[in-house]
Order: sequence, then structure tokens, then C-alpha cells
Amino acid sequence: MITYYLAVQMCFIRMGRPQMYRKSRLQHANIYWLFMLFSPHMSYVFGKNKVHSQVTGFCHLINHMLVMSLPFQDTQLSGMRRDLRLALLLLLSAALESNSMSPPGKPVLLGCRSPEKETFTCWWEPGPDGGLPTTHRLYYERERLEGIHECPDYQSAGKNSCFFDKNHTSIWVDYFLTVVAFNDLGNATSDPLKMDVMEIVKPDPPENVTLLVKDIEDSPHLHVGWQRPQNTDTESGWVTIKYKLRVKQENNKKWKEYMSGTQTHFSLYSVSPGVEYSVQVRCRLDHGFWSEWSNTSHVKIPDYLQDKRPFGILVSTLCVITFIATMCILVMKRKYLKKCFLPPVPGPKITGVDFTLLKSGPTEDAINSLNQNFPLMVAWKDQMEDYLIVTENDIGLEPHPFISQKRKNRSMFSSSGFCFHSEIQSQDSRLSLNEQEKAGKRNHEIQQFVKSNKSLSGTSLSNIEQTQQCSHKQQGTIINFGITEATQQSRSHHDNTVKPLTDSGYVDIRRHEENTEEVDVKTLQYSRVKEMNSDNTLILEKENVSRPGYMDVQRQENTEGYSRVKEVEGDSMIIVQKQILSSDTYYKETGNNSIDCDLQMPRGLTGFSKVGVCAELDSGYVDTIPVTHLM
Amino acid sequence: MLDLRKKPRMEAGTSPVCPSGQAGCHVPSLADLFNRVIQQSSRVHAISSDLHSEFEQYFFPSKNFLGKGKCHTYGIMTPADKENAQRLGRDQLTEVILRLLGAWEDPLSQLYHSMSQDQNQDFNHYSSNKALEISDMVHELRDGVTKVAEKMKLLGVLGNYVGYTIPETLPPSSAFYFNKKGEVTSMDHLVLLYCFRRDSNKVKNYLRILKCTTLPVLDC
Repeated sequence: MITYYLAVQMCFIRMGRPQMYRKSRLQHANIYWLFMLFSPHMSYVFGKNKVHSQVTGFCHLINHMLVMSLPFQDTQLSGMRRDLRLALLLLLSAALESNSMSPPGKPVLLGCRSPEKETFTCWWEPGPDGGLPTTHRLYYERERLEGIHECPDYQSAGKNSCFFDKNHTSIWVDYFLTVVAFNDLGNATSDPLKMDVMEIVKPDPPENVTLLVKDIEDSPHLHVGWQRPQNTDTESGWVTIKYKLRVKQENNKKWKEYMSGTQTHFSLYSVSPGVEYSVQVRCRLDHGFWSEWSNTSHVKIPDYLQDKRPFGILVSTLCVITFIATMCILVMKRKYLKKCFLPPVPGPKITGVDFTLLKSGPTEDAINSLNQNFPLMVAWKDQMEDYLIVTENDIGLEPHPFISQKRKNRSMFSSSGFCFHSEIQSQDSRLSLNEQEKAGKRNHEIQQFVKSNKSLSGTSLSNIEQTQQCSHKQQGTIINFGITEATQQSRSHHDNTVKPLTDSGYVDIRRHEENTEEVDVKTLQYSRVKEMNSDNTLILEKENVSRPGYMDVQRQENTEGYSRVKEVEGDSMIIVQKQILSSDTYYKETGNNSIDCDLQMPRGLTGFSKVGVCAELDSGYVDTIPVTHLM
Repeated sequence: MLDLRKKPRMEAGTSPVCPSGQAGCHVPSLADLFNRVIQQSSRVHAISSDLHSEFEQYFFPSKNFLGKGKCHTYGIMTPADKENAQRLGRDQLTEVILRLLGAWEDPLSQLYHSMSQDQNQDFNHYSSNKALEISDMVHELRDGVTKVAEKMKLLGVLGNYVGYTIPETLPPSSAFYFNKKGEVTSMDHLVLLYCFRRDSNKVKNYLRILKCTTLPVLDC
């Protein structure tokens, strides 16, 4: 650059001189000088070669013009001409120096490639060309081939390349390649490259990659198909192509690779509907290099769910409707269902007793109904038996439970004061709690029964008022008992009289012995009623009667229990005939409940017994000692 | 690198012989035999490539190895491109294959011995094992190809005189590679491996062409 400016200045100086001659020449010179001044800038803008050639051209022009325009003063001009030429030469050299022409630089062989193992191409990179047009030539030597040969084809593969066609390609032989750059000044040879076609095989990418979405049984899969590169020959077995493909989802950056072997198709099953996929395929021959990836193919899997959505909606709607209908039916028929699945537990029911009556509280009607049902209860508990226990008072007031089991109600009363107890107990000596309860209840019921003034009609029970008078501390065998009796048909006018019942009940008088705690049937002692006072007292004979169960009230002389009524005296006097009757010691209560003394059946009476009671005789017999039966 | 010792080998050369088609004796078809043989050759080439590249990287890191050493199988005329190979015909192609395979049995076993006995311990155990494996495989491959030739002769697609040519023209391999002042250098090994890699590739290619010209199969 420095020389350039110097040359310019010299030009200018030289140009400056002939200004005395012509203004026009000066003008030309000035123009040229200006051009030269600006030319370095232009050289950077337009490129060195152009500007330099222009600069040199102009300098030549200047030289010529100066030579031509200075015809007259040869001697002065010759000096000037020499100077000018010198300046111009300097200019030229300066121009050349900034882009010097030199022999070309060394090119570089980049490499070679064979796409199908039948041809191959080599490329090189040219070096600096030294400012001169350079040509490059490729020379090669080959194994089993004599001589150096030049590249057969520089054109087919583009610039700076060499294409070896089939005729010039041999496999399994070494090639030694060199590239030489030539220009006017010299040449340059690249480093040699040794290669074997076997090692440089890299195929073209597969072609016509097609994507098909196949729907087999509602499971979509992607079928990828492609074709082998056109130039490869697989039919003769010369090459074996193996493929590989990679798949990517649209939102994912990661590729997933699959090996395909030698097939030209591949099925991808792990595809999701509604997603777009990108697919690329590449291949390689034998064990060579992999090709480049093919162009990306895109496909979007259709959203099958949308197609089936109405069907799904329909099915779900049907299910919901069915469910709601079922629930409605269940709710409406819940009572029936309740009845069916949860049958009601039957409540306790006593036949004949209407619990609705009891619900309002104990009323007379209820109790009546209860009472009415009472014998039924008795019948229900037919194994039990009711007892009216009259306990002896001399020992104490403690009532002893009488344990027996009989079918008929009996009443017992002790010789002395008595307390009526009616208890129903089983034969077992053991009393369970329940039975005690039952007994207690029964007792209570009977007590209630007794207390009430209602009567039983035609039953074997009688209303017995439980006396609460237990006259104790009586040494006698006076039994005080009070029997009140009320029947519906009661025509009794004698409240104080004891009126025997019509039923065949009888009185067991149990006497307590001192040393016995248990009451045993066998140890029962019986006394005969001696007489009865008018004030409802039975006078018992103090005699032990061994006959169990019965009350044998007899006279000493009279073992039978029956006596004929001889005659009736007046009112309230019966003359009993002493007769020997059968040994039947049953006492019979004859007649009605009421005792009517108006007996008009005369009989012969052998004996006379006082009776404190008037008994109505309806059978003609009268008991020896008429005893009221407490039933 | 596949450890082929662990994989079950396709013993192409040791398939049982069924003289009269006995029951339970599976007679492999020609296609089966070809497939086995081709797979074996492919494996051989893969191992040889690996060995060679290992050698090259270890001993000669500079890429441009310009040795113009010739291989001892130089004398065997082999087709160098597809057209020539197809033009050669089945008989000669089979012949070439057999000759190539026969020529390499000795050198490979010698290679193994020299590698295992190396004083410098340049070769690791892994490489010497590979060399042994290669020599075994090549032996099997040769037997397999012989059987293929027999089968082809039976089928009438191959001439009856194939395989009986004695390779007299070949120089003894030991002189070629190893007998240089009694010393065996790593350069020699590299050359050997280079040559073998090439020849194994040839064998693989020739076998495929043979198969596809003999049997019209979909694979081709």
C-alpha cells in the first residue's frame, strides 16, 4: 500500500510537470490522479482483482497518453517518460503486491463416498489460487493398475469433485488420490489419500416415506413405508440394506429409534390418538456408514374418541336412567320391601285378651277380661295347680308353701288361725325363679281375683277373700275363716254364714308339726271338724287322721262320712241318722251354694249332730259334718 | 464388539448328515445353508474390522497409512466389482471363495500365536482372544461353504470339479507376513489384519451373489 501511494505521488509529480503545456492534459492528469487516489478504497470495495486490473489499465493508459501528448520537447520529455514509466512500474508492482500472483496453494482432498458400492465421488478443497486462474486435476494410482490416471469425470458431481463411474471403480483395491492445482505460475499437489471403496460406502436416504394410520379393531397403529434408494442393487445381492427409523411426537423433542432390518415397512403400535407424529428413515449398506435422514414426514392420528363419544354418551345416559328408575321403584315399594325383607316380629299375644284395652290403663273392663281369661290361663298351665293354703298359726305366721301337684284346687287351712294362701307351684321342690315369679304373679292374680267381688260362674274357683286376719295365739283349734262369696247368682243372704260351694271342693287342714319344716303330704294331719259354730267356726277334733288327702271328719263311732238326715227340726236343725255307710269318705258338697235350711225331707235320724250351718240338701244326704267347701 | 464365544454359533460346517432322510433328522435346505454361511461370514468380517481398527488406533494414530504392502492372497484373481462377479459364474465364484478361505487358515492361527506370545505385551488379552476366535470361525466357514458346494453339486447347479484346485501358486503365508528376520512387528500384524479384513468382505459379498444367482429368493 505504501508503494502504491508513493507511486501515486510520483505520478502526480510527474503529472504536475507538464502543466505548463496544456490545461486539458492537466485536467486529465488530475482526473487520473484522483482516480488513483480513490482506487485503493475502491479496491477494497470491488475486490482486488478488478480494481487492480483497472488500476494497471489506467496506468498504462496514462503512460500512453503522456507519451503521446508530449511530442515536442523530446529531451525533456524523455526524462519525464522514463520517470513516468518508472512510476507506472512501481504502481503496477504495488498493485500486484497487494494480491500477488503466485503458484496455486495446496488443495486438500476432503474425502470420497460411494452411494451404492459401484461408483464413487471424491471432493477436494482448493487452496489459494495465487491470483491466477488455477485448475485442479485429480490423479490417482490404483492397485493392480499401472500408471497414473486422471479423474474421468470432473463435472457430474459438481465443482471440485471427481466422479468415478462403474468402469473406473474397483472394489477391494486401494486408490491413491492426489489433487494438483495448476496456474500460470506453478502448481501445487495435495496430500495423497488412500482409500478403498469398501470403506467409503454411504447410501442415499430412503425415498418416498409414506405414513398410514391403520385402525385395526379400534387400536390405531401407524404404518410407515418407504423405498430403498434408487441406485442400490439389492436384487443381485450385491448390497444388503438395513433400515432404521425414528419417530417423534409433535410436542416432544426426543426422537425414538427403531431398527427395521431389511424390511421396507414398519408398524408403530404405541401411538396416541390426536397426536401428530414425525417420522424419518435412514439406511446403510452392509457395515458402511449410515445415510442421512430422509425428509420428515408428518401425520396426525385422528381422534377416535370423538367418533365414539356419542355412543359413549348414549350408553352412559341409559345406565343413569335405569338406575334412577330402579331407585324410584325401590322407594315407592319400600313398604312392601320392608314387609318382604324385614318381616315384623309378632308381638306377644294372649288369646282372649285384648291388649288394646290394657293400653288405656287398668280399667274394670280390662280386669274383667283378664279375669275371664283366667281359667284359660289355668288350663294353659295345666300342669300347675292352684292352691289355697291355709297355714297353721300356732307355729307361726309363716306360711309354708304347699308343694303338690294336683288337678284340683284345694284349700287348706290349719286348725288354728289361718291365712289363705293360694299358691301355685310345681311338684318339684325346686322352685325356679320364673316359677316363683309365676307363682307370685299367680298369687297376685288370685289375690286380685279374690279381692274382687266378681264371681265365677260354673267354675271351680271361688272368690275367696284372703283373710288377713290370722288369728294367732289361739290355742284352740278354732279356725276362723271368713269366706265371702259373691256370685252372680248369689242369693245368699247370710253374709256371715259359710256357704259351701257347690263344687266338690274340700278343705285340707294341714297341721304343722313342730319338727317338720317341710310340708309333706304324708305328714299332713287332718282333723275332723267337730262342729261348727254359728259364727263360722269349725270345731275340729283333735285327732290325727292318717288318711292323706282327705279330710276325714268322723266321729269316733262313725267312720263313714255320710249320715242320713233323719229329720229336720225347725229351722237350722238337722237330725242326722247314724248310719253306716260306705267307707267313702268323700265329702260331697251337695246342693247349691246356698244353704237353705228349708229342708223338707224327713229322714230318720239316728243320731243327732248339731250343725251350725244350714245346708241345702238336694240329694237327700247330708254330710255328717257338713263342711263348707272352699273352692 | 460382540463376544461371540457366548453366543451360540451357527456351525455351518457341523450340521448333522442325514443319509437317508431319517425321521427327526432335519435336513437343511440350500437356502438354510446359505443363510447360515452368510451370517457366519458377516460375523467374521465384523470381528476383523474391529481388530484392524483397534490396531490402527493403537499403533498408528496417524490416519494416512500409505503402506503399499501387498496381501499374500494377491495371487488369487478375484472379481473387483459386481459385473465381474456376476460374469464369473457360480463355479468359479465358489472356487474363489474356497480358495480365499483356505488361504487364510494358516495365517490367522499364526497371528494368534504371535499375539499371545508377544514379549512386549502390546496386545491385550482381548485382542488375542479375538484372533483365536477368528481363526476358528474361518475354519468353520470354510467347512460350511464346502457343504454348500456339495449341496449345489447334488442339485446340479454346480460343476463337479469345484473345490479341488490346489492353491499351489500362493507363497507360503508365513514367509509373507512373519518371516522377517525372525521378528514379528506390529506393522506386520496390521498388514495382515488389513488384508484379512478385505478378504473377509470379499467372501461375504461373493457368497451373497452366489446365493442370489442360485436361488431366486425374496431376500435378494
